Amino acid sequence: MHTLSKEAFNEFVDNLIADNSLDVVGVKSKGEKFAFGPLESANQLRLDYDVTLLPPKKYFFPQRETLLTYDVASGFQAKDPKESKFKIIIGVHPYDIMALLHMDEIFRETKSDPYYLERRYASAIIGVNIENVSESCFASSMGCATIDYGYDLMLTDLGDKFAIDVGSHKGADLLNKYAKDVKKAFARDIQAVGKKKTEIINASKQKFNFSSELIPEMLGKFYDKDGFWENHSDQCLSCGSCVLVCPTCYCFDVTDNPELSLKKGERTRTWDGCLLEDFAKVASGENFRNTRAARYRHRYFKKGKYLFDRFGFVSCVGCGRCSSNCLPDIANPVNLFNDMYSLSLKAGFQIDSATIPDISIKTDSTIQFAPKMATIVKKVPMTSNETMFEIKLDDKTDLGHQPGQFVQVSVFGVGEAPFGVSSSPTNKGSFELCIRKLGNVTTKIHTLNEGDKIGIRGPFGKGFDSEFLKGKDLLFIAGGLGIVPLRSLLNYVLANRKDYGRVMLLYGCKEPRELLFGEEILSLGERDDIEFKATVDWCPEDEVWTSNIGVITTLIPQVDFDPQKTYAVVCGPPIMYKFVIRDLKSRNVPDDHIIVSLERRMKCGVGKCGHCQINQVYVCKDGPVFNYSDIKGVPEAL
Amino acid sequence: MKPKVAFFDFAGCEGDQLQIANLEEEILDLLGQVEVVSFREVMKEHSDNYDIAFVEGSCTRLQDEDRLKQIRKNASIVVAIGACATIGGINSLKNYQDTDVVKKIVYGENAHLFDTYLARPIDAVIPIDAYVHGCPITKDEFLHVVKSLLLGKKPEIPNYPVCVECKKNENVCAFEREEFCVGPVTRAGCNSCCVNEGTKCWGCRGLVDNPNENSQKEVLVEYGLSVDDAIDKFKLYFGWEKKK
Amino acid sequence: MSNKKNLEVNVHHVTRVEGHGNIYVNVEDGIIERCEWNISEAPRFFEAMVVGRNWNELHHITSRICGICSIGHTLASLKATEAAMGITISDQDLKLRKLALHAENLQSHILHVGFLILPDLMDVGSVIPLASSNPDEVKTVLALHRMANDMSNLICGRTTHPQRLIPGGFSKIPSIKELQNLKDRLKSSVPELEAVANLLKTLAPKIPDFVRETEFIGLKNPNEYALYDGKIASTDTDSAPASEYLSYTNEYVVPQSTAKWAKHNRDSYMVGALARLNINYDKLSPLAKKISGLFGLKPVCHNPFMNSIAQLVEIVHSVEDSIKLINELESTGLEKQSDYNLPNLLVKSGQGVGAVEVPRGILFHDYTYNDEGVCTKANCIIPTNQNHGNIELDLKALLPQILNKSKKEIELNLEMLVRAYDPCISCSTHAVKIHFV
Repeated sequence: MHTLSKEAFNEFVDNLIADNSLDVVGVKSKGEKFAFGPLESANQLRLDYDVTLLPPKKYFFPQRETLLTYDVASGFQAKDPKESKFKIIIGVHPYDIMALLHMDEIFRETKSDPYYLERRYASAIIGVNIENVSESCFASSMGCATIDYGYDLMLTDLGDKFAIDVGSHKGADLLNKYAKDVKKAFARDIQAVGKKKTEIINASKQKFNFSSELIPEMLGKFYDKDGFWENHSDQCLSCGSCVLVCPTCYCFDVTDNPELSLKKGERTRTWDGCLLEDFAKVASGENFRNTRAARYRHRYFKKGKYLFDRFGFVSCVGCGRCSSNCLPDIANPVNLFNDMYSLSLKAGFQIDSATIPDISIKTDSTIQFAPKMATIVKKVPMTSNETMFEIKLDDKTDLGHQPGQFVQVSVFGVGEAPFGVSSSPTNKGSFELCIRKLGNVTTKIHTLNEGDKIGIRGPFGKGFDSEFLKGKDLLFIAGGLGIVPLRSLLNYVLANRKDYGRVMLLYGCKEPRELLFGEEILSLGERDDIEFKATVDWCPEDEVWTSNIGVITTLIPQVDFDPQKTYAVVCGPPIMYKFVIRDLKSRNVPDDHIIVSLERRMKCGVGKCGHCQINQVYVCKDGPVFNYSDIKGVPEAL
Repeated sequence: MKPKVAFFDFAGCEGDQLQIANLEEEILDLLGQVEVVSFREVMKEHSDNYDIAFVEGSCTRLQDEDRLKQIRKNASIVVAIGACATIGGINSLKNYQDTDVVKKIVYGENAHLFDTYLARPIDAVIPIDAYVHGCPITKDEFLHVVKSLLLGKKPEIPNYPVCVECKKNENVCAFEREEFCVGPVTRAGCNSCCVNEGTKCWGCRGLVDNPNENSQKEVLVEYGLSVDDAIDKFKLYFGWEKKK
Repeated sequence: MSNKKNLEVNVHHVTRVEGHGNIYVNVEDGIIERCEWNISEAPRFFEAMVVGRNWNELHHITSRICGICSIGHTLASLKATEAAMGITISDQDLKLRKLALHAENLQSHILHVGFLILPDLMDVGSVIPLASSNPDEVKTVLALHRMANDMSNLICGRTTHPQRLIPGGFSKIPSIKELQNLKDRLKSSVPELEAVANLLKTLAPKIPDFVRETEFIGLKNPNEYALYDGKIASTDTDSAPASEYLSYTNEYVVPQSTAKWAKHNRDSYMVGALARLNINYDKLSPLAKKISGLFGLKPVCHNPFMNSIAQLVEIVHSVEDSIKLINELESTGLEKQSDYNLPNLLVKSGQGVGAVEVPRGILFHDYTYNDEGVCTKANCIIPTNQNHGNIELDLKALLPQILNKSKKEIELNLEMLVRAYDPCISCSTHAVKIHFV
């Protein structure tokens, strides 16, 4: 440990500021509060602050940033993640350092985020031990009031001087190059720092009445607790303040911003929040988390359970920002969890510390935000609302998808939307998407013609395990647009027909004119290696329909199958699953013989942006194809 | 062919058309994409042959309804610009008072010479395809809506409250400064510009789709307003919406 | 063209303050049967809307009277509230408010002179053809206009419905560095302004030589060219404090108009740049006086068409005076204030008048508050309303002088006369439908 007199410290900071190759930011006052901002002089620093309005996260994951630019003529160009200046952040509190360590793992896992990580590399954190604990801080309950790693330098105010702990080579270099009169700390200085840290830990006014290790297990017992979430969220303004100021929140939205010429533009990502009303709303208008209580609960579960199960940490550092920024004062985790704990005691729940999951954070590749250019080579109208597009990648490669996987389609200036691939991977050279006119991207894509350019990212997600299904009897159940991803598997199976057992297809739609892949599907009825039944909910007088009339479940009793040998593959509108699964189970189909493909709002495609999350599950990454046995305990799924 | 665009105004201050005139150099870029056939702020010519009509101001007289209906008939897309047109705006303040009293206050014995009825947004008279909210509108959002329409896209307007932008802009919350703010129920999209300038949100962009009004009122009371004063805060811009 | 002609001119929506204005002209056998100035705008009832509202909302509400001069309305409103409650503002805030007013006068006048008057004098329909025929001049005007808008943004938060102007001062103020940058831009605009003045000088012969004697009313201040503060002065009579405004404005209602009209010593009076120049000529900045001399503009000028030249003179004055104000702020240094300043004010009952010179002339706001600071009575008198009577009398005087001209020229002359008053941006640019039957 070292020390610097206050004068020498100011000189150190001023020397950093004077170096034009550095971008020096620190904590300054803003109104009666504090905020990180660019420093013009060491005198502006307020290292005695209690908490900043926003955490330093904003320097690594900014409120708004450009991911790529596009030019209709030449395609998409990802923004270079390299930073022009090395950033020094002065005055980061221990809880915010811990939050950055959480964020590092989140942005590194599986697909790493180049922008976040490059900014982290090109920066140094100069931390400071808390001098004044804010009213709402409960960092000590979360074990984050002090920290021993994660910084380059760590300051402790010892009155006339700062004690400085060097945490990295980066930190040591900064001190060597920019500071003068650095002294080795005396034993009493080191002792004083230790004493100060203990004082900080004891200074929190906000405390849990229990150990924070109980949080994941306790939450598990409260998911459906009568009225609990409704009572706590009744006053929720859905303003998102709690999540927007959170140092560990990382959900984002992605939008296209065309220039006025409409020929060029950029794609930006902005902070989003799961407390906002439309966060889980899809183009069809379905909102998968449409009550204040469900959104409010999701925040606690994401922080306290889902991220714990995935990374082994409760993703809260106790900074108290959510609580101090909530106008109706309902966001304080201390109040909620203490209430939960006392109810647990009353109910006699046995709650243990959660077992730390076995995790290994791996990065398999970097997120590719820039789509590949592709060309629409064929456009076939299917119904008044649905059109099939045959698409070729301009680099002449195959998409390389599994049946059931999806791609993100970009339309210049309008944005990106996810679509399940409807062709079999056995079709080489191109792939097919069947698209219903619903939102902006889908409406615009319908105005495009053969030869027009679009962007493609993917394939993404987990598809059907066509290897595993070999030798099994397959019962396809498709409702409406649900036929689209199933068709990919069905055609794959038909192309490798001898590898599979019986193949049955039950397909229903609202009325005859909405039948997709008309002739292709109806001609299946003439094959003897597939049992095909179709139904419509109703048939208007001006249309002809000779088969079954009724909802999709009316077809299930019409097929005979061996539940032990059969795997049911189900896809359709959200409302359909519940009824189909009920009927399959009544026919003794085991849970793990039911495979479903789900739809959610998907923005990033790589398990980061948070929109497609169903409880702990990311549809874009863990799905869209799920084994029912894996998600039957996931309450938001079906 | 470039779409033909026309601008119209009803009861309002014309501040929104001024924002468009203030596009300055960008207005030339805009003219590269659309043909302006009627815009009193910058040109003399006028035509009734247009595709997109931008309408500023509230409807405050029965006689104005016919003009609006004609605009709806002529245009394939009608866009309401500015708070007066989108939500009724400041004009709807007079809706809280008796119309005859209002007329008498301003025109005295000659009140009978002037006709007026409840001030209302344009969509209370004709269907509207898109909204550019705000008092006044911002250039950026106007261009966003124009670009969206040119791309054949429904303009995306936030359905979350101003707090979202305030937090992103790292403002000190107005309530912590003894100000009374309606940002928590007001539709964002302004980039919290009034709070950025040191004040509070007045509500000029109208309510979000599902505002938690009870909670907002309780917050206002919690921070020191009487119940009546809390309700009063909703009158400034939400006059028409609250009546619905 | 015969002298004994029949002519019907219906100029719809020429002007509007709070609205649309029309000219009706009917000539039978060379005799003027009707020459009328008519306001058809939907009335908005601001004086009623503010009753029952709180003292700290009035400036926000009344700013919405006019998007073009919202800074002026905000300042008049703040002055009325502050007068009613005995609130004083610091010298620094006073200077910043004067800068705010200059910013608005600049943006409004530059727009009017550069985009609306210039095309008239150059025989084109709008500024758009000028962009290709005179790109340098248009670029200069655009740059000046942008500077004025940036100045409004810097001082007030935005150009329309400013946020930073609040009772007792400012919620946020610019930094000294920002003010210095502004000063540099203002300084570098001076040669550009001289170029515009020289261009206008070459076109000056096209300004109609029309004179009708009338009364001019505006603020007068012994210390400066009165814009933010002063007594009410007239070219006909003695001056009086702003609180006595009613004895000057004498508003009355005419059946053909939804806006109120005004008269003082004569049947009508004029407010605006020309009125101010006629009253305050001695206090013009040096270069402004020089530009005034270039056009032979001296008090008392009775040609309403010269109002546009008076605006040009005021543009120069505002630039010079702004530089002077920033110099003063620099020399004293800016006193720091909180990032979200909310002056602690004592709310009390009272009545107060705020009078401010805005681009189109003198503006009055008059409020009465009860003990809780709730507005119980309000009166707002807007410049263009004060000009309506004068416009109609000018039209009546001008028409006989131009009856022998072509229809197109009559139309242009009538429009130019209305435009000279700069009643409002929309009215002055307009898409005027003129029907000769």
